[in-house]
Amino acid sequence: MNTTLLITLGLLLVAVIAGATYKFFHGRGHKVVGNECVDLTKLRADKNGDPVLEFGSKATLLMFSTKYCGQCPGVRRALAKLEHRHGTLLFIVADITDRLDLAAHFNITQTPTVFVLDPQGKIRYRLGGTPKPGVIETELTKLGVK
Amino acid sequence: MNEKNHIDPRGPRFGAGITTVISLLAFAASLENSALAFSILVVLAVLFAWSVLSAKTHPFSLLFKRFVQPKIAPPKELEDPRPPRFAQQVGLSFALLGIIGGLIAPVLISISAAFIFLAAFLNAFFGLCLGCQMYLAIRRFGFIR
Repeated sequence: MNTTLLITLGLLLVAVIAGATYKFFHGRGHKVVGNECVDLTKLRADKNGDPVLEFGSKATLLMFSTKYCGQCPGVRRALAKLEHRHGTLLFIVADITDRLDLAAHFNITQTPTVFVLDPQGKIRYRLGGTPKPGVIETELTKLGVK
Repeated sequence: MNEKNHIDPRGPRFGAGITTVISLLAFAASLENSALAFSILVVLAVLFAWSVLSAKTHPFSLLFKRFVQPKIAPPKELEDPRPPRFAQQVGLSFALLGIIGGLIAPVLISISAAFIFLAAFLNAFFGLCLGCQMYLAIRRFGFIR
């Protein structure tokens, strides 16, 4: 075994470990403590061309996306389906490609990032990346979305 | 957005698979023979630049369309080509770092090849596009506008 082969195999191993770690932690999300509420007037999100002025009656899913985000369209479709199924849920998408103020404010470093908001707009849960199956649904059930 | 321009997301991943092999070879070569590693990096840079300028005529894309796509099921969903294109720009800048830096310090060739390998490997085998994920972080910290 020569050194070149060993170092190259080492690099390969690092890559496999990095990938496995990513797969494990990705899309799990965590509870948000604190009382921060999303301010819809500052968010300036729109839905089908109309500005969003109210939260969903039981819960709101707020997804941050950018033009360059590869996984966002798929996540967006999945969440839009949830909204379609539950009348008490509102789903909004904020494109932050040119809204670095928002990214900095909410400390977003990756897209998609999904927030679960309660009826007052308080952030209850946040999740970076593609949500693992059932994670968002569980959080919505806690908020009484049927 | 024009849906017609959307691409089969498995195309870029197939390309990343080939890039994985080439960049790992470049990395191994950089430990033995920097001139060889340097030339492989130049090839990689050309391939990245090709993707950025004209992804449709890229050799990997043609290989995918000719040999892979007919054998697999049609894609469940199509993807916006901008995220993979941005990732190719990140790849290109790493390759250029290795090429320009390599003239001064050969160790930069190894570093550049290792980063390209990591990014391509994670994209091909884990579906993680590092460049796309880092886009926001890079912009927020002001490296690009």
